[in-house]
Amino acid sequence: MSSFEQLKQTFFDECGDLLQQIENGLTEIREGTQSEDTINAVFRAVHSVKGGAGIFGFETLVGFAHVFETVLDAMRSDKLAVTPDNVDLMLASSDVLTDLVNMSRAGETPPADHGSECRTGLQALMGGSDDEVVAGDGHAAADFDIAFTPVQIDLDEGIGDPVVYEITFKPGPEMLKKGSDPLNIIRELRQLGELELTADVGALPDMSAIAVDKPCVSWTGKLKTTRPQAEIEGVFDFVADDCEFSIVNTAPPPPPLVIEAAPLPVVDNAPSLAPAGDKPKAAGKADAPAGEGKPQKAAATTTRVELEKIDRVVNMVGELVIAQAMLGQIVHELPEHVSARLQQTLDEVVHHTRELKDGVMSMRAQPVGAVFQRMPRLVRELSVKTAKKVRLEMAGENTEVDRSIVEQLSDPLTHIIRNSMDHGIESPADRISAGKNEEGTIRLSASHRGGRIVIEISDDGAGINSDRVLKKAREKGLVAADATLTEDEINNLVFMPGFSTAETVSDISGRGVGMDVVRRNIQDIGGRISLKSERGRGMTIQLALPLTLAVMDGMVIRVGRETYVVPMSAMVECLRPPRSDIHDLVGTRGMLKLRGELLPIVDLGDLLDVKASDSEGGVVIITEAGEDIRFGLRVDELCGHQQVVIKSIEESYGSIPGISAATILGNGRVAFILDTEKLYEMAGVPPAAVAAAKLEASTVRH
Amino acid sequence: MPLASTLKVLIVDDQNSVRQMTRMTLEELGITLVHEAENGVGAFQTATLQPIDLIISDYNMPEMDGLALLRAVRGHAAIRKLPFILLTGRGDRELVVKAAQAGVNNYLVKPFTTATLREKIEQVIGKLT
Repeated sequence: MSSFEQLKQTFFDECGDLLQQIENGLTEIREGTQSEDTINAVFRAVHSVKGGAGIFGFETLVGFAHVFETVLDAMRSDKLAVTPDNVDLMLASSDVLTDLVNMSRAGETPPADHGSECRTGLQALMGGSDDEVVAGDGHAAADFDIAFTPVQIDLDEGIGDPVVYEITFKPGPEMLKKGSDPLNIIRELRQLGELELTADVGALPDMSAIAVDKPCVSWTGKLKTTRPQAEIEGVFDFVADDCEFSIVNTAPPPPPLVIEAAPLPVVDNAPSLAPAGDKPKAAGKADAPAGEGKPQKAAATTTRVELEKIDRVVNMVGELVIAQAMLGQIVHELPEHVSARLQQTLDEVVHHTRELKDGVMSMRAQPVGAVFQRMPRLVRELSVKTAKKVRLEMAGENTEVDRSIVEQLSDPLTHIIRNSMDHGIESPADRISAGKNEEGTIRLSASHRGGRIVIEISDDGAGINSDRVLKKAREKGLVAADATLTEDEINNLVFMPGFSTAETVSDISGRGVGMDVVRRNIQDIGGRISLKSERGRGMTIQLALPLTLAVMDGMVIRVGRETYVVPMSAMVECLRPPRSDIHDLVGTRGMLKLRGELLPIVDLGDLLDVKASDSEGGVVIITEAGEDIRFGLRVDELCGHQQVVIKSIEESYGSIPGISAATILGNGRVAFILDTEKLYEMAGVPPAAVAAAKLEASTVRH
Repeated sequence: MPLASTLKVLIVDDQNSVRQMTRMTLEELGITLVHEAENGVGAFQTATLQPIDLIISDYNMPEMDGLALLRAVRGHAAIRKLPFILLTGRGDRELVVKAAQAGVNNYLVKPFTTATLREKIEQVIGKLT
């Protein structure tokens, strides 16, 4: 990539932030939560997009940004009223601007009439004037037609008023030994301005006692110069450790810089930073670092790193985890008197690797707010379209999750909220007659729960109409005509492929993308989706997502001669149940009675067609497969808990039922990571059996 | 006549891409001693602590804009004659008038070519060698 192309890339990255600022600012203004500076910040952002676009030659972008900016300028100088209509037009304009940036980024030439509706609207606000000329012609800009004479400066004369510095200079014994001549220092000082020095010869011994390599003269005096203090200090750079010197500005300190609303970081307490009673040398130096030593401002403490670079580190950490697992295996095979100390060190390495992993992952982490931010806009637009009154509440926007997950959350969230707006929340009239507040509420929240991030979208609408869902499912043949389902099971039918309840497809939800796609999206990133609905009271959709997609904690298990990994996050407990606790029940492969509850048992060997070595005994892992679904997974042996690196196999092998990914174990062999939810589906435990078991369990209890 | 290779220039702009672009253009002129600042506050600190020969500053920045920086520089005895070139956008005509009143040495309209940049610098500090 040429450096010009790289700069373009930098510009587009900046545009991402700027566009977000524009949208956030406008949203605040629309909701009336803005501060005084909000409109200025929006203006600045649009202006920056325009400026950069001009430099890189994106003229359509410059043209549109210019019109947009002109209107914002009028708005911030109170020449244009801030009405909801005007702000909506601004929001639409910000969309057009985003489109234009994206097109420019993709290397497409935006059609000349793109966003012309918005543009016309903006121009109408400004009274129809359109100063095309200013918008740019693709070449370097010309000067303005004003009388301006550049002001010449002779740099040799200095750039400020001369300042008098008091200088002391006392060469140390090391100076001559190292071959530095004190006179050179004085000559250099003289070049900076008018120098008056007095030599202090009081320490000069008798002629006979003078040593050639021992300086005895020191100097004090004044230097009148226009050069900055740093340059005077620079003269002493090479001898700073071998002499004592001080440079003190005798001029009164300049008046402090006053900036409205953004004060300069305090610099005038510099002297207090110098330790009391320190050598003059240190005192002289204390002036300079006082300003530098303090963080200039929050923005300067962050740095942009290409995602690719972080990904490379993530991969290396992955490899490190594998190498470490191999090392562990080798240590394990050594005789104990050798391995004991090695094991201790290895444990430390494991600990550090885990911290390293967490550190790198936190670099990739991003607050979910990045996605949440887009939702208020969506809700506002939809409430206009559907003529429903809806308030969006958000909580936990700062919850952090891996960037790749944040990116993939946008579509599912949008879809779920569309669904809530379209099917969930009732019209104001219906709500009033149902005794509810006219205004509906959609609540979006995120939180960390047990190594996962949980996102909940709930509304206080009508909930799922289970009669209609069941009818529909029967019509489509998704459910047998005589099956009896619980309310929850019926509600979960909306996740079935090919299911859509909207009688007529509206342009809001139901664009052929059903909840099954949402579920697929969530599952693709290792998440789970669940739904709770209460008729007439509303519904809640919960997304439980992993924090990262790269490394996870897993339990290595064995069935027959095969080794698999069960994600720790799906495991509840492990046990070796006595035969008497396993009950046969028609239609199941056995039910385990655990603390008065009956859980279906699924034999992993049977499911994956692997010959188990011990079909009777073995270990049962109580596993979670979604909200409120637990089952026992029978395996031969637990081999140990370890961190595993997730290697996707979908690209090469497609989707394999029951397997979510692969990993490399300590012995260098590949093991599959199990998808417990899918395994449960594959086992085909009939819901009726579970229901019957629950019933039986309760009768047993009574 | 100022020597391009020893000229110390401070670029002030909140956009990294614009700073880098300006830096590249300066390098084409043989000016390689370049400092950068993201806004007026950082620029003012740099200008008072480091030996700087020329400021090229954008106007439109958060915290402290280019005009405020210009006024701060002109108000500080040790650097009050520091050459200052203001970067403006097309259409910022009135801004240049204000900047001239505040004592700007020259202005430069974005986007600009290497030749224009050289011309604008030379109009202020003399021919670059």
